[in-house]
Amino acid sequence: MTALLKIDGITVHYSRLAAVRNVSVEVGEGEIVCIVGPNGAGKSTTLLTISGILSPTEGTVTFGSKNITGANPENVARMGISQVPEGRHVFTVLNVEENLRIGTLMRRDRSEIEKDFKMVLDMFPVLAERRRQPAGKLSGGEQQMLVIGRALLTRPKLMTIDEPSLGLAPKIVDRVYEVLTDLRNRMGLTLLIVEQSSERALKAADRIYVLRSGQIQLSGNAKDLRDGEKVKQAYFGFSDAAKHVGEVAF
Amino acid sequence: MGYIIQVIVDALSLGSLYALAALGIGLLFGVLRLINFAHGDFITLGAYALIVPAYGPDAIRFIADFHPVALIICTILVVVAIALLSELLVFRPLRYASAATLMVGSFALSFVIQNLIIMIYSGRPKSLNLWSDLTAIKFDVGGVDIALLPLLIIGVTMVLMVLLVLFLKHTPWGVQMRAAAEDFKMARMLGVRANFVISLAFVLSGALAAVVSLLFEAQLGILMFRMGTPLMVFAFIATVIGGMGSLVGSVVGGMSVGIVSSILQAGLPSEIRGYRDVFVFGLVILVLLLRPQGIVLSRATRERV
Repeated sequence: MTALLKIDGITVHYSRLAAVRNVSVEVGEGEIVCIVGPNGAGKSTTLLTISGILSPTEGTVTFGSKNITGANPENVARMGISQVPEGRHVFTVLNVEENLRIGTLMRRDRSEIEKDFKMVLDMFPVLAERRRQPAGKLSGGEQQMLVIGRALLTRPKLMTIDEPSLGLAPKIVDRVYEVLTDLRNRMGLTLLIVEQSSERALKAADRIYVLRSGQIQLSGNAKDLRDGEKVKQAYFGFSDAAKHVGEVAF
Repeated sequence: MGYIIQVIVDALSLGSLYALAALGIGLLFGVLRLINFAHGDFITLGAYALIVPAYGPDAIRFIADFHPVALIICTILVVVAIALLSELLVFRPLRYASAATLMVGSFALSFVIQNLIIMIYSGRPKSLNLWSDLTAIKFDVGGVDIALLPLLIIGVTMVLMVLLVLFLKHTPWGVQMRAAAEDFKMARMLGVRANFVISLAFVLSGALAAVVSLLFEAQLGILMFRMGTPLMVFAFIATVIGGMGSLVGSVVGGMSVGIVSSILQAGLPSEIRGYRDVFVFGLVILVLLLRPQGIVLSRATRERV
């Protein structure tokens, strides 16, 4: 499999504090990859570094054949990476349709845009109903659907999503994952998802990485890790090896 | 009756000038969190653009003698060019600095512009009549003569506000600007180009400043290197009491400040009329004490409630 995204040994600092150290992640074309880990593990930092909001002090990010380390967020977006960051980030002053239209601003293929627009509204009928309403008036779940729909309208090659389940009812989370898996299966969309819940990740992903204290503790095929024991150890740091790494990190 | 109409027209026309200037400041604040204290100097430069750059005591008419349409276009182009140049040379290098640093940067820019004007045009005031017909043509309303100019100022302001709203609400660029004003990072992650949106805000702000230059110069009939400063100060106050970050607030604030000043001007006894601004600023302090978040709540403030 060819790697669509290759994160190679990145270290990212917030002023002097390293939030992630020497993290390497690969995402193959058409794969669903999940990064799991507890709060403060550096998951969001990793995603923000891919999208160019943060710059790594060491290491590189390669997308396709292009080195995108330290590129502008808008240029990263224009290369085909669409990020759904943590906390949803709808534009509350814009209505639902305007929010979605922002997703299409990089594109010139009018007829295809309209087709995708229809697809997104079919996928999330509630957005069609509320087309003219300010996005700030939507519920949390509806906002999550809006940002996913908006990201889809950029027609990304890779979509990264930060905690799609945060603050949502389990039923809605099921629906979100159903949609994401469906997108991969039908359109070959590549997905990199950050998730706190390792069960969710193991269910949805092809491969997972466990990130704790800013370092990758474990990675592998979701199939092989399905019983969850190894993942839990890496996640919570109970095993001897993980404990050792934890000490080094602090 | 006529006197009251006179006061109302004056109040609305002064309020309109303040509102236009406040919109120029509010636009930049919305997108960049920049409080641009050089906005008044953009206004000054628009007026100076009308004459030949020369040190002598008299104003040698240049753009001022153009056909009105060409005159307006040329002035707007000059001020927009200066605004874009300021963005490129001063504010782009400071893009990721704090709002306070940006503001200090704008102070520095303001000093530079004022001193450049003194170097090129000299610091002496120069008399320059622009469109003197506008003040000469008068309408008799209830026994009082109302000049065309203040009515024009009110009309132009309303038209520009409508155009601005149409632009922001119904064009893709306008929607991009509103998105960037609310959440710049997210907008960029969707491909909104930061340089483009910020430059666009400077273009709009510069164009508004140029219009204020012309209307103000037509009213004033004189060029001074600090002529825009009082407008900037009142417009800034207008954006603060109107509610930072809200364009509606800028307009409401500008109108309020203008109307209050005019009413005080008309109503205060003549002995203390010279201290009118003391009362204006006193009222501003009162408004801020009673409603520190401004008259119109901006999105950011509302969400915290």
